[in-house]
Amino acid sequence: MAELEIRGVTVKHGGITAVKDASIYAERGEIIGLIGADGAGKSSLMHAAAGVIRFDGEVSFGGTSFGSPREAERLKPKIGLMPQGIGLVLYKNLTVSEHLSFFSKIRGLKEDAALNDYKHRLLKMAGLERFTERPAGKLSGGMMQKLSLICTLIHRPSLLILDEPTTGVDPLSRLELWKILEEIRESEGTVTLMSTAYMQEAEKMDRVYLFDSGTIIASGTAEELNETVKGYVYEPVACRSDRCIAAGHYTYSLDPLKTPHKEPTLEALFFINALKRGVEIPEIVVSERESEEPIPQVVMEAKGLTKRFGDFVADDHIDMDLKSGEILGLLGANGAGKTTFIKMLLGLYPIDDGELVLLGKPIRSAEDRLGLKARIGYVSQHFSLYKDMTVRENLLYFASMHGIDAKKASSRIDRYAKELGFTSYMDSLPTELPLGINQRFSVAAALLHEPVVLFLDEPTSGVDAIARSQFWQMLKLLKRKWGIAILITTHYMSEAEYCDRVVLLKEGRKVADDSVENLYKKHPAAKSFEEIFLHYYEDGR
Amino acid sequence: MIGTFFALVAKELIGFFRSWGLVAIVLYSFTLDIYITGAGIEMQAKNIAVGYVDETGGGMSGKILSRLHMPEFQKPVMFTSREALSRSIYNREIMVGLIFESDFEKKLKRYGRTSIEMLLDSIAATQSFQALQYLQNILLDYADIGIPVELKIHKLFNPNATTSQFMAMAEMLSVITLLGVILTAVVFVREKENGTWDIMLLMPIDPKLIILAKSFSQVLVIMGGVVIATGIVLFGVFDVPLNGSIAAFFLLSFFYAFTSAGIGLFVAAVSKSMLQVAQLSILIMMPLIFLSGAWTPIHAMHPLLQKLSLISPLRYYIEGSESIFFRGTDFADLWSYFGGVIVLGSVLYFYGFRKIGRLF
Amino acid sequence: MSPGVIRAYILKEFRELFRSRLILIVYILPTMIIILFGYGIRMEVTDARTLIIDNDNSTISRDLSARFEHSRYFDTRVTSGMGEQEALKRIKQAKVDILIIIPDSFEKRLLHGEKTEIGVFIDGAFPVRATTMQNYVKGVIYDAARSLTDKKPTNLITVNSRNLFNQSMRDEDAIVPGLIGLILLVAPAILSALLIVKEKEEGTIFNFYSSPIKKSEFIVAKLVPPLILHTVNIFILFLWATWLFEVPFRGSFLLYWAASQIYIAISLGVGLLVSIITRTQIVAIVLTIIITIIPGFLYSGMLMPISSMSGESKIEAHIYPVMYFNHIIYDTFLIGQGLDSPKNRLYLTILFFYAIFLILLGSRLMKKELS
Repeated sequence: MAELEIRGVTVKHGGITAVKDASIYAERGEIIGLIGADGAGKSSLMHAAAGVIRFDGEVSFGGTSFGSPREAERLKPKIGLMPQGIGLVLYKNLTVSEHLSFFSKIRGLKEDAALNDYKHRLLKMAGLERFTERPAGKLSGGMMQKLSLICTLIHRPSLLILDEPTTGVDPLSRLELWKILEEIRESEGTVTLMSTAYMQEAEKMDRVYLFDSGTIIASGTAEELNETVKGYVYEPVACRSDRCIAAGHYTYSLDPLKTPHKEPTLEALFFINALKRGVEIPEIVVSERESEEPIPQVVMEAKGLTKRFGDFVADDHIDMDLKSGEILGLLGANGAGKTTFIKMLLGLYPIDDGELVLLGKPIRSAEDRLGLKARIGYVSQHFSLYKDMTVRENLLYFASMHGIDAKKASSRIDRYAKELGFTSYMDSLPTELPLGINQRFSVAAALLHEPVVLFLDEPTSGVDAIARSQFWQMLKLLKRKWGIAILITTHYMSEAEYCDRVVLLKEGRKVADDSVENLYKKHPAAKSFEEIFLHYYEDGR
Repeated sequence: MIGTFFALVAKELIGFFRSWGLVAIVLYSFTLDIYITGAGIEMQAKNIAVGYVDETGGGMSGKILSRLHMPEFQKPVMFTSREALSRSIYNREIMVGLIFESDFEKKLKRYGRTSIEMLLDSIAATQSFQALQYLQNILLDYADIGIPVELKIHKLFNPNATTSQFMAMAEMLSVITLLGVILTAVVFVREKENGTWDIMLLMPIDPKLIILAKSFSQVLVIMGGVVIATGIVLFGVFDVPLNGSIAAFFLLSFFYAFTSAGIGLFVAAVSKSMLQVAQLSILIMMPLIFLSGAWTPIHAMHPLLQKLSLISPLRYYIEGSESIFFRGTDFADLWSYFGGVIVLGSVLYFYGFRKIGRLF
Repeated sequence: MSPGVIRAYILKEFRELFRSRLILIVYILPTMIIILFGYGIRMEVTDARTLIIDNDNSTISRDLSARFEHSRYFDTRVTSGMGEQEALKRIKQAKVDILIIIPDSFEKRLLHGEKTEIGVFIDGAFPVRATTMQNYVKGVIYDAARSLTDKKPTNLITVNSRNLFNQSMRDEDAIVPGLIGLILLVAPAILSALLIVKEKEEGTIFNFYSSPIKKSEFIVAKLVPPLILHTVNIFILFLWATWLFEVPFRGSFLLYWAASQIYIAISLGVGLLVSIITRTQIVAIVLTIIITIIPGFLYSGMLMPISSMSGESKIEAHIYPVMYFNHIIYDTFLIGQGLDSPKNRLYLTILFFYAIFLILLGSRLMKKELS
């Protein structure tokens, strides 16, 4: 019998079945991955396995089994759960060291030298030893996740349940999180159950379960799973039918193509599954802009832009420019100053130092921005939609804010809905929709007034592979058909490769600014863009 | 411009009506809450518990006791000894204890005057005082004091002196304040929390227009509540008199709702989270409601509090509403109330515009 | 139950309370309420703005006016020749509370033994005050009239009243002890509900769900900080009452303390129940206020003695804990029977079991799982 066995677990939330009849097993020391679109049931299954939600079926671990949260109590000393959400389980006012001592005390650990050593080891692994006196609320997202993880590890759980611990976390922190996991499973033989949106991570796991609308539809090692779809994956080629889809560097087709096959990644699983199940993946279309306003050559020019919060310098004399018809990727670790930079460009934060020219106009005061607002589009990290209004109402509202008359607005909204593929969701509330759809229509909201420049702050975090691929298709079309400039931040390094140029920020300073090809040329040893990124970050550490 | 304004208002109204919890709280506050307060809080002494010890064996004492009846007094309870009566008062089961001593009637016949011993639980001071007055008035009826002066007393505006009418009105005004502040503050802070405020600031619209429109939407909600409460609870249930112009009342309420929304704007401008909104609203509203004259007329307050009450918009609103409902004051004489409400409101919006506008 | 776990949790709560400055509310709010209500509620009428129109301007009428001018109950202005309509308008404009009109030839008729009539108009918008003012006016005028005639009254029954507990009928004595009851019901309930709902809203509740902490440990850890913090308020409020408002204290301090402590436990139980059915902090606060303030007022005995209640309101008064506590509180401040009175003993016992019942009910209903 395996160390962890989840047998036929079903979880219902107020009448809706979140997971149906799911079974999973894991041996000692294994890291098990759960993948699938947002809302596919991964979190519910993890909650059941952690014994924090009512479920039908049985979970057994190390020979003890339970069928309800109450029965799970006796196993809880052995379980560690880190739920989804950055810094969710942290107390914003408590410092790092107070967290460790709180978590060790509520776990009833003996306060001795061994515990102290272990705490130091954890702090060191997480790279937090210099920040023990900092309140959790003042840590960057990546640090928060690492702190959450070591707090979850403090009692040396033999079953570790991690719900998307790496979503919204920069590549370097992700790597560090992984290092901690590897170390802990080596030394403790911990069983880890982990969901992730990064397929490169899933590929490192011992076994992966693919979720789709509440059921597990495939499982096995990354190789085994890739094997099952190998026959459907091709080099990129234009194709469009119910049985074929082109996405980024790959083309997926159920019918044989003449193009050569390509080695699949786990992302292929999502596409092939969608094709097989006949899920409609609408083709993204973008038609020409209605306005004929010319777009300036250089859309944005920043010189020495600086932002300070007290002693802390969030952005330190950053130079950057953005041209029309360009997609510029702004990369950097959590807390490197990306969001602050965008907010300065938008005027949401005052600029402390430096010069900014937007759309040919030098910005010195709020008045300078007034005329420009109608030409800028912005999507924030959290999409920022009104949760109590339907998609259509949201869009109409934003249109009227831009002074677009009702008739024109309706026709434009209908057109976007058709082109971007969310027509069938027009009368749903944002909270009822998958993240991918929310993301697409918040971009639509930012495009209603046909801006000449678009600022996108982490628009793809937590969004599933198919939706992300469609999203990028849309950006490329916008660039080509509208010729507008796009500034985007992301933690997916694979997405950086779709950008024309990337700017890398590190601790508030610009450390690289070049096209992706040139960067590859500068770093011939790098196999992926992630390695280039890490190269810049590991320098001088 | 106008189109944008109404789009903003419509959006907030949609949001309000979709959150059934909020709708329920608003409806409850404008109906049941006002009803419970009006019906429940009685400051006029009524239904007083009376006990007596009668050592005389009836006659005059019986006549007097029979005059103690509803609504002022409960049926007097007989006690056999003074100790028993006193114990009952100490246990606060009886508020007024009357002792007719054995020579009570004898004295009256012989000297033309006599007295009743009375034990009075005077903890609830006002009620006790009133109980004493009631009793003295009854006894005065028996006396022939031979005064040729006749008093003709007119209690104006609320001749039956029903507390419920007054309390219901005062509670409605408190509810308007409470909801005006909280609803508006929540509207703004929710945008801050969800990050939609950033998006709003990036729209090519004057932020003043956004602020005014959002406040206006909540003013509409409040005014809906005012119409319901006035129609159903005040006039329907409690039969509150209307001696002045209802139009003047609604107009004053409209301005006042705007001003209390202004307080909400202020609260939103200085708080970062819902929790802070809740704390700050309590801290601001408590003094506001108690400095308003709802419980005690302004001129009867501590002089310092009187001065402070000048900056409470509720003060002007309550005095104004009292004047309209009960006193029937002419529209022209209401200008000071309108003035107070409008001036304070303008100050609040001036601050709100600056504070929220600074983000630009 | 493990003391180490509870201690760690409590320490964490205190750190958060101090760092989030929520602690300010814990101490500002009760003091603010007692001062505002204590000074703000005046049932007693003094300085009623009185306008006397003396159309007679004789010795007697001037003497009568002087009696009003010398009374602290009235703030009097005497005028003559103002028309009745004009004067009534003053009342309408809320500039005058009482209008007294002395007719011309008042003195002459009085000396001839003829009947004469004084007109009194009182602003009745504020009913209790109107009744009180009416009685004051009657008193002054009858007194004056009696001193004018030599005729001995016959058949006169006077009341020889002994005011128990609150001899000088002070509003402070009547209201302030009741306020303590109101505050100790509302404030601890809000705080305990907040401490739990905050974790639910922010997600840190997972630390409880996923760890072996027992439900009892969690509840103790959440209720002890508000209990400790508000215990201090028992003393602070006592000081405000006796020192600032000069309310006498005739009973046993120990009883006051014990009863208040139990009452805080009841309030914590209310907060616990609120936290079970709410998810967000704002709803928790609003709900707590709705279910505590109105009964806290109605059944406090501050405005209306429980003995004056009848029917439903009497039954409701017995269901809420407010009445039992206030009975003991008023006893300790103003009466002083203490535990000698069987009623106080009974009520204290009822409060004790009330607290246990609420907290046990809360513990039963709370679930250590996502809902």
